[in-house]
Amino acid sequence: MADRDLISKCEDAAKRIRRRIIDMTYATGSTGAHIGGSLSIVELFAGLYVGKIRYMADDPNWEGRDRVILSKGHAAMALYPAMVEAGIIDESELESFKKDGSRLGGHPSLNGLPGIEFASGSLGQGLSLGVGTCLALKRKNNNDSRVFVYLGDGECDEGSVWEAAASAGHYILNNLVAIVDMNAIQYDGYTTEIMDMSPFENKWRDFGWDVITINGHSIEEVLNAYDYRGDKSLVILAHTVKGKGISFMENNWKYHNASLSKALYEQAVEELEAAI
Amino acid sequence: MIEYNKRNIRTWSLLGPSGAFGTAALELAETKPDMVMLTADLCFFSGLERFKAAYPDKLYNLGIAEQNMIGVAAGFAKEEFIPFANTYASFCASRCADQVRVNMSYMNLPIKLIGLTAGYGAGILGATHMSIEDISFMRALPNITVISPADCMEIIKVVLAVANTPDPTYIRLTGPMNSPIVYKEDYDFQIGKAVKLAEGDEVCIIATGSMVYQAMQTAKLLEAEGVSCSVLNMHTIKPLDIENVFEANEKHMLLVTAEEHSIIGGLYSTVLEALSKEGTHKPILPIGIRDTFVHAGSYSYQMQESGLTAESMKIKILERLQNL
Amino acid sequence: MTNLEKYNSAFKETFEIGDDKLAGFKYQDIEAWDSVGHMSLIAALEDAFDIMLDTDDIIDFNSYEKGKELLAKADYGVKF
Repeated sequence: MADRDLISKCEDAAKRIRRRIIDMTYATGSTGAHIGGSLSIVELFAGLYVGKIRYMADDPNWEGRDRVILSKGHAAMALYPAMVEAGIIDESELESFKKDGSRLGGHPSLNGLPGIEFASGSLGQGLSLGVGTCLALKRKNNNDSRVFVYLGDGECDEGSVWEAAASAGHYILNNLVAIVDMNAIQYDGYTTEIMDMSPFENKWRDFGWDVITINGHSIEEVLNAYDYRGDKSLVILAHTVKGKGISFMENNWKYHNASLSKALYEQAVEELEAAI
Repeated sequence: MIEYNKRNIRTWSLLGPSGAFGTAALELAETKPDMVMLTADLCFFSGLERFKAAYPDKLYNLGIAEQNMIGVAAGFAKEEFIPFANTYASFCASRCADQVRVNMSYMNLPIKLIGLTAGYGAGILGATHMSIEDISFMRALPNITVISPADCMEIIKVVLAVANTPDPTYIRLTGPMNSPIVYKEDYDFQIGKAVKLAEGDEVCIIATGSMVYQAMQTAKLLEAEGVSCSVLNMHTIKPLDIENVFEANEKHMLLVTAEEHSIIGGLYSTVLEALSKEGTHKPILPIGIRDTFVHAGSYSYQMQESGLTAESMKIKILERLQNL
Repeated sequence: MTNLEKYNSAFKETFEIGDDKLAGFKYQDIEAWDSVGHMSLIAALEDAFDIMLDTDDIIDFNSYEKGKELLAKADYGVKF
């Protein structure tokens, strides 16, 4: 059971991450950013980066580290502030988000930024990268490191996700943790209306995975899920709200990828400050 | 240790491209501890039967799931292994194309991808298993080395050589079982260095893969007609051996490119691009597949239909020489 | 060496077996006579008799006895 101090610490980090996401989006001006799917994943990242990750900020290539793969690469805007919380990158770097020549792109890339294992953004590929990494870790007899792969629920439309899921079941990769950010909305609308993948839990079980379903905004549930160790690959189905934390963004498809006017930015900041 | 002697050369040619690959794979298993071998349900087809029996823990079968296979290879590569992966050449450049471009090209990971039965190698199965466009896809992607070995001994040398580079690499295997022998004895192979197989002064055939043997036969036919012909084995299409291409352009009246691949985007295009940068160049005659699919049939039937035989090449070259 | 001795030698060398194993010996009878071993045998026979076998014959050649039959064909001129 997660202790109260840690929960508190992670909750505070989540608030800061959420605020930074709004700031970063506003700073892109009319370019905009993938704000909805970044806000939904905040607690999942806060729980990992502040609560549970095996990582050494001063030795990003430490062999014993956990590997994090952001398969839903467009949530990079949540990843970067989470990495700031873990001391992996400096807060000042967030200002460069999406600017020309920046290390902080709209999707993570391999450009020297510590803590990024793979470039991502082409949906459906991350779980395969996770499978390969897990197989390689076992080959090296590294039984301490785990691999955390973050996917979107819409992303699970991609067949390649299920190829990877099947292979994880086949190879019984108990060092693999997939987390699905189930915010129920993809670009064109509700996932149940675009491509209904229910019953979703059953699919993962049938591919040989352990399944834990949680409220993705409850730090306590997030931390408990990360603590789980079983004999199989683990998928954490995290029910979340797209645009979580800002009233006019919650469950609003328009905020999959959007820009913020000054007025909307100020409204968002007001809401977040009231929530602290 | 692999011995490049006459008996082995003949054995490898009998085995054909997959068998040669399997031979090299076994050698790597013995000499290269960080190598792993991935396949998408083509272990037996790709010549890895003995490898599987002797080194089952170095072989990962991902089933008929090519996209996953490349992603898994990327995971291994990132963790400092050297992964070899194989599937039909047709699928390398299509089914798992996205994974190839993100993991091999963009992330520059040391994945060695073997394209089996490229060209018409599995043409008996029809167009879905032909690959006439794989070179064009692979070479348009940054960072990928593209190699097309001329015969079974060269396949072995290529596989052993690429295992020791940090570069993502695509190797296309052409030719049938009982594959014609180009090299009758050992020679010095280097990635990126074309091999002069015959020297003449009128025509130079720059060939790759299976067409190297055809080019050698063509050169003999041309000699009989009084035409002096060079043959350059351009096994590495990217990076192209530009020096040798320029020299060929200097020293001959007519250049010919020959590939078991479309004339769009493959060796012909690569050579043309290189020469165009230098201003004018000698006329170039492309021998290759003319932007069409042929009917399913035997390998020799399809090569014939596409004009990829020595006799057909001779005729085209003589014609072209008349119109210089 | 007689032709028969050359023929037997090829088998014995390729598969590391004795004379006693030759009669009735077939493809896949032992691990070593797999597809790779088969081509090693063919190469050894081609060397021994200075011939080149047809692809069809290479495929049909599935036993010690069958091989003798195939080599005795006019194209190869090997008399046992």
